[in-house]
Amino acid sequence: MGGRQFVAILRKDLIRELRTKEMLISMFLFVMLAMVIFHYAFTVKESVDLTYFTGGMLWVTFIFAALLGLNRSFAQEKDENCLDGLLLCPVDRVTIFFAKMTGNLIFLAIIQAVAIPVFTVFFVKHGYYGRLPSFLLVVLLADLGICALGTLLATISMNTRARDLLLPIVFLPLIVPVLIAATSATTAIFSGGSEFGPLGAKLVFLAMFDIIFMVAAYGTYDFAIGE
Amino acid sequence: MILKRLLTAPALYAVAGALLAAGLLLAFLYAPTDTSSMGFSQKIFYYHAPIAECALLAFGIAFVAAILYLRSNDPKYDVLGMVAIRLGLLFSLLVMATGMIWGRAAWGVWWAWEPRLTTFLIVCLLYTAYFVLRQTVEEESRRATFAALFAIIAFVDVPITFFATRFMPAGLHPVVFGRGGGMPGSDLLAFFVSMIGMTLLLIAMLRQELAVEHLKEDLYHLKNRIGA
Repeated sequence: MGGRQFVAILRKDLIRELRTKEMLISMFLFVMLAMVIFHYAFTVKESVDLTYFTGGMLWVTFIFAALLGLNRSFAQEKDENCLDGLLLCPVDRVTIFFAKMTGNLIFLAIIQAVAIPVFTVFFVKHGYYGRLPSFLLVVLLADLGICALGTLLATISMNTRARDLLLPIVFLPLIVPVLIAATSATTAIFSGGSEFGPLGAKLVFLAMFDIIFMVAAYGTYDFAIGE
Repeated sequence: MILKRLLTAPALYAVAGALLAAGLLLAFLYAPTDTSSMGFSQKIFYYHAPIAECALLAFGIAFVAAILYLRSNDPKYDVLGMVAIRLGLLFSLLVMATGMIWGRAAWGVWWAWEPRLTTFLIVCLLYTAYFVLRQTVEEESRRATFAALFAIIAFVDVPITFFATRFMPAGLHPVVFGRGGGMPGSDLLAFFVSMIGMTLLLIAMLRQELAVEHLKEDLYHLKNRIGA
């Protein structure tokens, strides 16, 4: 795995996105629209406290926003036959994976940097700033899991006939563990409650998930991206 | 030679049927009725748990077949993986069905978000996606490669999902699903007889499905030869 090649591919993805900003804008709009829709979906009576729902809302939104980004990140490569060029380069396939994954991670993090403050201002009634470092750790670990598994599956689904239709069908059932762990950790942080169990176990779990699927991608990406 | 004859699908079906019937008789006539809150409804455990273990066994076979396929590119492992996942999915649906019947009898509800039952629901969705994936790839070797990749990822994900379901707030259902403390010997006998019977049933079905797939392939080649 070459560091320079990694940086080159990542830089290419970032420049391409920053020139058009189509992916970031659509992800951002999606997140904002989801927030409005969730507000009306869960406000069952006036002045209801949505603190307990915020964790779930956030992670459902992020997973679907990540899906948008993941689909785009490979659709562009495929449409203009850029991928063939990329595969012809003397680059390790695994380097392509990690560069793509990092790119997706950066885009997701940009969206979250906007969405999390907005969501929490609107929905979270308790102060959680004391637990901010552990919350950021939850976000980072969950994002890594989403992007590692998502990049691997997006590569597979890009090479099929259904393409962007297939990705949610294969991605969502596999990402359920991350959703559960991240949601319960986030809810525990926002509500300050201990009824969701110790936070440490969830952090370790998320870290394990990240490692397992990065190793799985490392071992299988040659097959996923094709010859 | 005798061993080979004993391992054909019909012979396996016969032995599996006999063992499953014996397991049923043992469960109802020999094993004591559960003394905890489950009572009589606990009898379904003697089929429910073996079915669940067979479903996982089938997915395990698919996992091994997937690795062998990626190493060898031999299409026979692709067929084995597909057949194993098809049967695993069937057994998973049976796990959910028996689990729901048990849940209704023991807790009074058809569905509880109990870790094991929830895991099997996700497993069903996951392995259904496997067939959607197969449908969307035309080229044979690429389909087999992607299917194998997905079988590997899915099998790795199943235990992780099971762990994750435990993160949900506890205390909804006080009853611990499953064996709980140690089973008395008479329970164990009925359980193991059913377990072996169910495993043989899975192997018999696997062999039969494989034979059907081979026939399909032969038919395809024959058709091609006469230009139909």
